[in-house]
Amino acid sequence: MFTVRTPLVFRARRRTVVTVTAVVAVLLAGALAVTLLTQGGSSTSDETVNGNTVVYAAGHQPLAPDFTATSLTGTPIKMSSYRGKVLVLNFWGSWCPPCRSEGPTLAVLSQQYGSKGVDFLGDDVSDTPENALAFTRSVGITYPSINDPGYVVVQDFSQATPVSETPTTVVIDAAGHVVGMVLGQTSYGEMTTLLRDAGVNK
Amino acid sequence: MTDVRTPQSPADTAPGGPAGESPTASAGWLRWAWRQLTSMRTALVLLFLLALGAIPGSLLPQQGTDPGSVDQYYVSHPDLAPWINRLGLFNVFAAPWFAAIYLLLFASLVGCVVPRTFRLVGSARTPPPRAPRNLARLPHSSSYSSALPPAAAVDNAAAVLGGQRFRLRRPAADEPGYWVSAEKGYLRECGNLLFHLSLLGVLLSIAAGGLFGYKADKLLVEGQTFANTVSALNEFHPGRLVSGDSLAPFTLTLNKFTASYVESGESAGQPSNFNANVTYAASSGATPRSYNIRINDPLAVDSLKVYLIGHGYAPEFKVTEANGTVAYEEATPFIPANTSSLLSDGVVKAPDASLGFEGVFVPTAIEVEGTLESIFPAANNPAVSLIGYSGNLGMNSGVSDQTVYQLDTNGLTEISGSPHLLSPGQSWKLPGDKGSIEFVGVKQWVSLAITYDPGQVPALVCGILALAGLLLSFFVRRRRVFVRAVPAASGTGSVVTVGGLTRSDASGGFEEEFADLAAQIAETEPDPGQPQEPIKPEPDHTPEPGSHSEPGA
Repeated sequence: MFTVRTPLVFRARRRTVVTVTAVVAVLLAGALAVTLLTQGGSSTSDETVNGNTVVYAAGHQPLAPDFTATSLTGTPIKMSSYRGKVLVLNFWGSWCPPCRSEGPTLAVLSQQYGSKGVDFLGDDVSDTPENALAFTRSVGITYPSINDPGYVVVQDFSQATPVSETPTTVVIDAAGHVVGMVLGQTSYGEMTTLLRDAGVNK
Repeated sequence: MTDVRTPQSPADTAPGGPAGESPTASAGWLRWAWRQLTSMRTALVLLFLLALGAIPGSLLPQQGTDPGSVDQYYVSHPDLAPWINRLGLFNVFAAPWFAAIYLLLFASLVGCVVPRTFRLVGSARTPPPRAPRNLARLPHSSSYSSALPPAAAVDNAAAVLGGQRFRLRRPAADEPGYWVSAEKGYLRECGNLLFHLSLLGVLLSIAAGGLFGYKADKLLVEGQTFANTVSALNEFHPGRLVSGDSLAPFTLTLNKFTASYVESGESAGQPSNFNANVTYAASSGATPRSYNIRINDPLAVDSLKVYLIGHGYAPEFKVTEANGTVAYEEATPFIPANTSSLLSDGVVKAPDASLGFEGVFVPTAIEVEGTLESIFPAANNPAVSLIGYSGNLGMNSGVSDQTVYQLDTNGLTEISGSPHLLSPGQSWKLPGDKGSIEFVGVKQWVSLAITYDPGQVPALVCGILALAGLLLSFFVRRRRVFVRAVPAASGTGSVVTVGGLTRSDASGGFEEEFADLAAQIAETEPDPGQPQEPIKPEPDHTPEPGSHSEPGA
C-alpha cells in the first residue's frame, strides 16, 4: 500500500473525524441493537391494542377490500353487497381448535344481532367444504362462509389490515371501514364491544 | 483489508497517557479502547468468533428452525439441556452473546472503514508534492543538457507529462526555481476507496437482509393453492423489521409433483429426480405462469425464492356418518417415518362425527410376517392401515397442544381390536353403526421453503465492486516524475534533470515507463545535445524517499 502521509489539513481534522465516526458507529450499533433485541408489539396512535383486540381510531379505519368469492355451498359472494350494513367477518377453519371453540359464540351472536341489521360472514381457510359444513351443521352456524382453502381472501384483506392468525374476527361498519378486530379466539364480550364501536347496540 | 494506517505516535498507543495535550484519564482510556476496537486485529478476532459462535447453531437443534428436535433433546439429555438453554445455544442467532459479537464487529468495521474512507479521499485529492532539490538521489533519474532556457525546457517537459495524463504541479508565483512535479495512478486510491465503500455496502446489505428479509415454510398438497400471507404459512421467521402485511402478494398452486426413483439394481429406491410443477402469479392481478421447481432450481419471484425441500404422500379419506352425511373429505398429509421407503404416519380427525383414526400409509405395500412394510418409495401398490377411535376428540375446547398431525387418544374408545387395511377405493364400514371411512386415493405433498433476502443482490454487487477496487489498488501504481532545470554553467541553455519514484512497484514496469518518459522529455529538445547517461544509484540503497514527498519535511 502506498502509505500517503496524512496531509496537514487532514491531520488537524483527524480527531474530529475519529470522534464523529465513533459517535456514528455507536449510534448505528445502538439503533441496530434496539431493533434487533426488541420484539414487535407496536401500537401506533391510529390503533389501540388491548389484549388480542385491535380498535382503529375514527378517521384511521382502513377500507375493507372489495372482492368476489364463492361460498362453501357454491353460491357467489360479493363483498360490495354487504355495504350499508355492519358486517362481522370471521376467518376460520374446521381444523383449528380455537375456531371450533368460538363457533357456538358466533352462532349465538349472529342470531342476536341479525335482527339489528348486522350480517355475519365466514372465510374458511385451508379446509374442504365437506369438513367445514360438517362443523357449521354441528354448532348451528347458519350464515355463509367463503370457500378460501388457499388464503386468497386473507391475502386480499391483509392489504387493509393484517389477518395474521386463524381465527381472526373483523368488524366492518356500514361504510365498509374496518372498525376493529380480534386476533385469535374471540369472546362474546369482545364482540359486543366492537359492535358497539361500529354503532350497533345490543 | 489493505492497511493505510499512518504510524501512530506513542501517545496514541499507550492507554491513559496522552503526552503533551492531556485530556482526562478516562478520555484517554476511551480513546485507547476505541483504537483497540477499530484495529484490524480486533475485527479479525471478532470475525473468527462470529464463525465460531455459529458452530453450535449447526450442531445443536435450533428453536427457530426445528423446535421438535429441541424438545427431543430435552428428553434425551435432561441434565445438559437446561444448561445449553441458559447459554442460549438452542437459539444461537438470537442469543445476546451472539448479538454482542456481531454488533462489536459492525462497530469495529465501521470505525475502521469510515476514517480510512476520509483519508483516502484526502489522499486522492492531494496535489503532487514539490520537486525535491536533488533529483539525482531518487531511485530513477536521468539528465540532459538543453539549449533552451530553464523555463522553456520545463514547459516542454510539462507538456509531455500533461499529454500522458499526469497530474501536474508547477512552482507557485513566489517560489524559486524551474520545476514541474507530476503524479499518476490516482486510480489506485479510487480503487481503494471503492473497496472500502463496497465493504460498508456489503455490511449494510447483510443488515438489510436480516432486518427486512424472512424465511417461511409451507406444506402444499397437489391441487392446492396458497397465497403468501402470514396465517397461510406453516412456519414464519420474519426479520426484525418485517411486518406481516408486507409479504410479497404472490399465489402459488401445486399442479403436480413427480418423484422418480431408481427402479432396480444396487441403488433401487434411491430418488433420481424431483419435480414440482407449479402455477404462480406474482401479484393478485398478474398473469399466472408455470414453473417446474426442482432441487437446487428454486422458483424466483422478484427477490423471493421458493425452494423444494421435502415431499410425502397425502392419502385422501372420506368419512361418512351413519345417516349418510359426509363429515370429512380431504387429502390428509402423512409424515414419512422412513425416509427411504416413505412409510408414513398420519391421523384423520373427523371431530363432527366424533371419529378419529391413526393411520400408516405405505406406497408399495408388502406384508412381512403379519406387519405392513413398504418395499419401494413410489406409490406402486399403496395401502393404509387404520386404527379407529370414537369419542370427543377435544378439538372444541380452544387452545390445544395437539397439532393436525397428532391425535390424543386419551378418553377415546378404540373401535376394533386390530388395524384395518384398505386399498384405494375401499371402504371400512365401522362396527356399531358409527359410519364408514373410505380410502379414496393418493395425492402427494411438497414442503416449500420461501426465502426473501432483499440484501442478496446488493451484497453481491458490493462484493464484485469490492473485488474490482481491490484489483485496481493492486495493479495500478502510483508514480511520480519530477523535472527540474537549472541554467547551464556555460551561461546559455540549461541542465534538465528528470527523477522518478514509485512506492508500490510490486508488479514492476516503472523502470521502463520512466526511461520511456525521460526519453520523450529529452526529445522535446529542438537541437538535441548529448543526452547524458542516466545517473542511477542502486535502488536498494536509496534512502526512504518518503521524506521527499512531504511538503515542508
